[in-house]
Amino acid sequence: MSNKVFVMFKKPGEARGALDDLGRMDFAKSAITVGSEEPLEGFEQCGASGKPTRIGLFATAGGLVGAAAALLLTVTTSRHMGLVTGGMPIVAPWPFGIIVFELTALGAIAFTLGRMIFEAGLMSPVPRALQKAPGVEASVVLEIECPTEARATAAARACQARGGLVTGSAES
Amino acid sequence: MQKSIALGADHDINTDLLRPLCETGIGWYSIATISGLVLLAAVGAFGYQLYRGIGVWGLNRPVMWAFDITNFVFWIGISHAGTLISAILRVTGAEWRRPVTRCAEAITVFALLIGAMFPIVHLGRPWLFYWVAPLPNGRGLWPNYRSPLVWDFFAINTYLLGSIIYLYIPLIPDLALVRDRSKGLKRKIYGMLSLGWWGTQRQWQRLEKAVQVMAVIIIPVAVSVHTIVSWDFAMAIQPMWHSTMFGPYFVAGAIFSGIAALILAMAVLRKVLHLERYLKPVHFNNLGLLLLTMSLIWFYFTFAEYLTTWYGNEPAEKVIFQQKVSGPFSPMFWTMVTLCFVIPVVVLGFKRSRTIKGTVIASAGIVVGMWLERFLIIVPTLSHPRMPFNWGSYRPTWVEVTLLTGTFGYFVLLYCLFVKVFPIVAVWEYKEGLATRPAEVKAAAAHGD
Repeated sequence: MSNKVFVMFKKPGEARGALDDLGRMDFAKSAITVGSEEPLEGFEQCGASGKPTRIGLFATAGGLVGAAAALLLTVTTSRHMGLVTGGMPIVAPWPFGIIVFELTALGAIAFTLGRMIFEAGLMSPVPRALQKAPGVEASVVLEIECPTEARATAAARACQARGGLVTGSAES
Repeated sequence: MQKSIALGADHDINTDLLRPLCETGIGWYSIATISGLVLLAAVGAFGYQLYRGIGVWGLNRPVMWAFDITNFVFWIGISHAGTLISAILRVTGAEWRRPVTRCAEAITVFALLIGAMFPIVHLGRPWLFYWVAPLPNGRGLWPNYRSPLVWDFFAINTYLLGSIIYLYIPLIPDLALVRDRSKGLKRKIYGMLSLGWWGTQRQWQRLEKAVQVMAVIIIPVAVSVHTIVSWDFAMAIQPMWHSTMFGPYFVAGAIFSGIAALILAMAVLRKVLHLERYLKPVHFNNLGLLLLTMSLIWFYFTFAEYLTTWYGNEPAEKVIFQQKVSGPFSPMFWTMVTLCFVIPVVVLGFKRSRTIKGTVIASAGIVVGMWLERFLIIVPTLSHPRMPFNWGSYRPTWVEVTLLTGTFGYFVLLYCLFVKVFPIVAVWEYKEGLATRPAEVKAAAAHGD
């Protein structure tokens, strides 16, 4: 069983100071989740994910899916067209190239968005303890996972010393 | 010391950039009312057109396309301001882009919506617009993939969807920012739009990666769109249309008019929303330099196109050339050259005149000049086909002029509504830029920020 402490900071600098202090107190980076209004320079890989992103890979896959869909649409349509062409080829590669290009891009765009939403863990509600009440000015929110209650108290004190507002704690 | 200054400015930045969402000034009301009335007039004209039929336009044989297609090409061109410019600036890592990108991306979406509306307006029976969609064997009709109009359908829709997504992704953190400062229903709506964003480092990394990937994908799409629009003309064996350089010529013109539209939009936003601290003279200077470059490129293409026609001396082409350069279309032609080349080079060529006022004057001229350019590509060629017995003329009616004016009203109104609902400057991007620019922080401190 571990304890979680939730802290809000008005200024990113205060949060940075608290994170430095927590680091000196041997809190692992993976135990701290940082939520901020702007990217915090120098705090990459904090929190849950150290995994490399696969957004680029999925964009490529999306492009292939889009291209396949375009080929299917154009070639199948043309071959089923009941048009008398007097021996002229019914499948015209150049115009099809344009449609394939556009749908390839569309597939890549759609897959990029989808993968980003998935990897970023979006479309799920914000944890209640991390929600800011209207009127509360907080630019950084920390969720600190502590192995014991004593460590949780120490973390809360360290954050308070840097101007943090402890908004709650929970056992998990 | 420096750190505390930067952090102290955080609250001010949020307040400044989110103010338009909470407070509404007289400037906003004035612009929204005027643009709304202009749009209303256009809706009335469109209603009249629906009632009386498309004969209320000045179209005739042989001029079957005129104002509507000019508007279509013009607005699709304006759409190149945003996503393309923003993507290029992101990919090249131009730091000054930060307050500019969202203004630009919004232009793309609105201009595309307006441009894409014109083929539907032109249908005569616009309620059958869905017949345009190239569904295989829909309603017993098979789409003809050799038609450039079908290519338009795919290109414009891909660009529109891509641009909406490209506008939306960097908007998510700012939507969360607004959510955290809202109450009640507003909080719920922004909560849904922000997709549960709370800014973990993982979310930031993924967002920035997605924006990078999108920027790379969207650049060729943007180029393809106006190339394909140019092929609507170039694929026809019509004098002064059947040109291999129409693709790059149209793309250059589109970027050119797009940057001009962006400068105008930024100048209005700066004044009306009091964004002087964010949209600074340096942004107008840099965009002015881009505009100057595009003016020179546009002139180069125009000169090359007209010189080739003149030198070739092909009778059907020469007639149109003379119509434009010294015939009835010459006032429009020389106005276009003055507005798109002479004035921009004179005003933007010198640092002293490359001010906010200077870039706005040049941009206003370019927007008008580029509309004339589109008109001059379309109407002289159509009114003078290869067979002289078929020559005709064209004069727009009040319905067409009202529809054209209405598009500007529509565009401005959409923009007004956008700035009331979404932060027009990307708050997080701006702050991120400040954090990496100590010199600017120092300057902000010197100004008491």
